[in-house]
Amino acid sequence: MNRWNLFTRGLVKENAVLVLMIGLCPALAVSGTVRDAFGMGLAATFVLLFSNVIISIMRKKIPNEVRIPVFILIISTFVTIIDYVMQAFQPDLYRALGVFVPLIVVNCMILGRAEAFASKNSIINSILDGLGVGLGFTLALTVMGAVREILGNGTFLGMAIFGEGFKKSPVIFMILPPGAFLVIGVLKALINKYVKKETQ
Amino acid sequence: MTSTRNMVLTLLIVAIVCSVILSFVYSYTEPLIAETQKQMTLDGLKQVINAQEFVEIIPDTLWRAVDSSGMLTGIVFRVFPQGYGGPIPITVGLDLDGKVTGVRVASAAEGLKETPGLGVKITEPEFKDQFIGKCGPAVQLKNDGGEIDAITAATISSRAVCNGVKKGIETYLNYLEKPLDKKCVFSGVQEFVEIIKDTLWYALKDADTVGIVFIGITQGFVDCIKFMVGVGTDAKINGVKILYSNETEGIGVVIREEEFLDKFKQGYPETITGATVSSQALINAIKDYITRYKEYLK
Repeated sequence: MNRWNLFTRGLVKENAVLVLMIGLCPALAVSGTVRDAFGMGLAATFVLLFSNVIISIMRKKIPNEVRIPVFILIISTFVTIIDYVMQAFQPDLYRALGVFVPLIVVNCMILGRAEAFASKNSIINSILDGLGVGLGFTLALTVMGAVREILGNGTFLGMAIFGEGFKKSPVIFMILPPGAFLVIGVLKALINKYVKKETQ
Repeated sequence: MTSTRNMVLTLLIVAIVCSVILSFVYSYTEPLIAETQKQMTLDGLKQVINAQEFVEIIPDTLWRAVDSSGMLTGIVFRVFPQGYGGPIPITVGLDLDGKVTGVRVASAAEGLKETPGLGVKITEPEFKDQFIGKCGPAVQLKNDGGEIDAITAATISSRAVCNGVKKGIETYLNYLEKPLDKKCVFSGVQEFVEIIKDTLWYALKDADTVGIVFIGITQGFVDCIKFMVGVGTDAKINGVKILYSNETEGIGVVIREEEFLDKFKQGYPETITGATVSSQALINAIKDYITRYKEYLK
């Protein structure tokens, strides 16, 4: 598999949320608005990238039997460090993304990539994989956030797009948890119909 | 055996290394985090009131806002009313008249737990800026008899903010009066000696008692009127200042105007046409108080 493929397959074909169905918890919880969804996506991409690098560096030194607890230790330590450093040196960034950071520690997508890819592949390939999967995750969340914000709040990135009238009485349940399930279901159906057919 | 020992050793080493790194990073960043958080709180205070400096009265709860010349411009307080998902951290600024100068609701990153997309709209200017310039009973949802529009489908969060702001105003309004300069109702006086706590003072000039200053309260047309008066030993009024009133906009509020209050210096004024109840209440109350404190004037 060439390296370009490594990067692109995470975007749509093996999209973490919509195809592999992992990382669903943050995808459902933090896709109420485009801004939140995009922020969560970027934060997760960042962590995924670096956890892939660390795991890939250490892959030959970790005994197979204890690899999962070791991965968890490394990832959670790394995320906690990011949390502290961001709070101390980038308070503005922390104000925007800080709420997502603790959610990333328990994101199975990151452990999933460590286990399935980074622990078996070289550093460069792991970087490409982390970037691709992370951006795919960001893409899925942003699309969900856009649909939910437009229908559920009448806005896109905070701007009213259907006029003030719709903004006053939008489809509120789209922004509530049921809306998240509905949107992810419809997106999954679309992916199944168009993308999977193409690959077969 | 070797593989078991290898497993245990690896885990042990990784755990130790992780803990050491973490504790090092923590001890290094902790003071910095405390510093930035303090700065963030201060920035938050500046967003709700126009002031240069803040003097903490109750730690993390109440500040006096002071402008560049050291004059008090108002107070800022924080309240945490119970919302839909948890306590809502709110910062409120009050000017010297007890009116809201600004409201700031903490964002989700700062601990707001309201529903994303719904309850969190209480952080948006469209909602929170409704509070600016309001005081007393107006700080309530329209459904509850106030003047604040609730957010559709987020009534609980909206109401919580109103209740928090309202309760905070009631609790901390007193702090606006204490530092109030008593000289503004009694010019030329150097010192005040408290006779009754927060209510009555002797005014001293060159160590002689030249009069008294008192704070009184009476029922106006809408709400109570709280006022401060300086009276000389000759029973002449030196100055009157309204500390709190919530009279009808455009009518009763004229009792706050200097033009009316200055008339007290030449004896009791006529009532104001259109604001008879408010002005009469104030005039009568001042008369009553002066009679009551007569003996202190000797």
